Amino acid sequence: MRDFLELAVSAAASGCVYGLVALAYLLMIRPTGIINFAVGEWAMLGAFGGFLLLTRFEWPYPLGMAAVVAAMLAVGWATERVAVRPLVERGAPPLAPILALLGMLVVFREIVSLSFPPDPHPVPYALEIQHQSFFIIAVTLAVFVAAWLFFERTITGRSFEAVALHRRAAALMGINLSRVTALSFAGGAGAAGLAGLLVSPNISAHYLMGVPLAIQGFTALVIGGVGRVEGALLGGLLLAFAEQLTARYAPIPSGYTQGVPLLFLMIFLLLRPTGLLRARS
Amino acid sequence: MRTLLTAMALALFAAGAQAQETIKIGVITDRVGVSKPYSEPATEGLIFGANEINRQGGVLGRKIELLVEDDQSRPDISAALARKLIDQGAVFIISMSLTPATQQQQTVTMEAKTPQMTPMNSGDTLTTQLPNPYFWQTGPLGSIQIATLLAHARTKSLKKVALISDNSDLGQLLARFFRAGLEKSGIQVVAEEVMPRGATTAEPQMQKIRAAKPDAMFMAGVLTAENVLILKAYRQYGLKFPIHSSYNLSVPVYMTVAKGLINGVTFVDAYDPEKPEVKAFESAYRNATGKAPFNLHGYGYDGITMVAEAIRRAGAPDKEKIRAAMQSLSFAGVMGAKGMKYSFPEGKRAGYDPNGMVVRVYEGDKQGRVVYAGQK
Repeated sequence: MRDFLELAVSAAASGCVYGLVALAYLLMIRPTGIINFAVGEWAMLGAFGGFLLLTRFEWPYPLGMAAVVAAMLAVGWATERVAVRPLVERGAPPLAPILALLGMLVVFREIVSLSFPPDPHPVPYALEIQHQSFFIIAVTLAVFVAAWLFFERTITGRSFEAVALHRRAAALMGINLSRVTALSFAGGAGAAGLAGLLVSPNISAHYLMGVPLAIQGFTALVIGGVGRVEGALLGGLLLAFAEQLTARYAPIPSGYTQGVPLLFLMIFLLLRPTGLLRARS
Repeated sequence: MRTLLTAMALALFAAGAQAQETIKIGVITDRVGVSKPYSEPATEGLIFGANEINRQGGVLGRKIELLVEDDQSRPDISAALARKLIDQGAVFIISMSLTPATQQQQTVTMEAKTPQMTPMNSGDTLTTQLPNPYFWQTGPLGSIQIATLLAHARTKSLKKVALISDNSDLGQLLARFFRAGLEKSGIQVVAEEVMPRGATTAEPQMQKIRAAKPDAMFMAGVLTAENVLILKAYRQYGLKFPIHSSYNLSVPVYMTVAKGLINGVTFVDAYDPEKPEVKAFESAYRNATGKAPFNLHGYGYDGITMVAEAIRRAGAPDKEKIRAAMQSLSFAGVMGAKGMKYSFPEGKRAGYDPNGMVVRVYEGDKQGRVVYAGQK
């Protein structure tokens, strides 16, 4: 029983990180249809922001955390202005911004790779090591509650939903599509950067940390569905529990357990391709 | 005006002639891939060594010219880079990225009969899979690491142990050698776990190890972030069995990223800070660069100084003569236990002395004293 409870806390914390990355994808996919695989590199930027502000400059944790999230909002906004908007305005096909963002993934990684020594960099815990999981869970829940309230209870949030449902109709209703797109990228970068910051005390800030997080977040998104905010969190939690329970209890050699979540994903795609939670009509 | 032009032409000719006079050595390293944390400092040590050699007059009266390429530790582009370096006139190739990439380069160097050496790779199979007489390996083999760790562990009377590694190519290779070495010594492996790259926790794996109640745990992984996760879970669960690690934990980055987690962990190393050659190397490196070197710098430094010595003994930058000189070389460098020499007896091409490794222990967050040397 002790093992299971320890594992439940650990899996919930990992699931929250995956859920935040899935939320980053979702915030951009819903209104724009653009899959941005650079979210993993945004998480890496958040982790390196934590290293700079919290480790090197020793800022108080709340201040450093707020500064990292604010900086990531700006990074997301700038990414949209540089890599997405010019293509959309020129009427490029939908695949073009996805490819441009893949290019940005390399740009982000190389900037960090060239700016910092290659070793992993330590980022401090917000609380004691044994309480970090609870901190991750609490912060993530707060973010998801805020996101849910934003989409369900505010006019701006409803405008995101309107754009997601029908871009042209939303534009005809006076919704500023460019503003919604810029905000969705800023929010996506904020969520991804926060995920990177929260996980970095465990895995350290490292220039190659982005891709695994991007894959785990995308898997979580597929499981939960792109239709609703809470689906991202649900998908993240399911993925993390599948990973960790398999690694702990499945009667198969340890090396094979890594494939089980992917198997789980494939079965899921076959049985329920729209994800667990469908968008409201 | 004519005099000036003539002088310029003569200067250009002289510069060209001098450029031709260099001895070109190819270096294939990893600047952006997974091996960058290891390849970069090792390559810095190599470049420092080349500069030192050139400052002292070079080899056979000629300067060494390094032709550096980046293979990102990718075997698929590594062989092409080896070919490129040979086409550019390299008489020797030094491989500084991952074992699989080095292996792939051998397909070219064997066919082109160009000497190649890796001073840092530890996979045992590099000199056994291909009958390439132009290839040498001087990094400490995985089998030597486990044998040294086991020799030290024998003093602890271990009966059942856990083994944990990661899913990188090298991590799996080392785990295989660790498992074989443990089983050969009659020590039972009661739990064997693998950390996937990109994991966010090691708790499931450490729970299984805790349940197996081992006398000790051996770490064969080479991914720093995943190793730190293992150490975190170990401390979080308050586990008490001792940890014995591969040389990966000899990289000083653990003193910062595993701060507060690593006290008492023993690790195998090829670097004895008390060795006179190490002290001289550290002092010279600090004076030249203003930075403190560590063990990885020593691998690169030993690599280039060994190659330079082979060329010197060959008497000419002739690949066949260099091959013969390299094979008969006996060389004392920075790396290894006190008194260790690299050599290639009986036609072998893995030159690290089986008794040349040491076991050290972390004292607090610092890499501490040598507690054991060799395999006896």
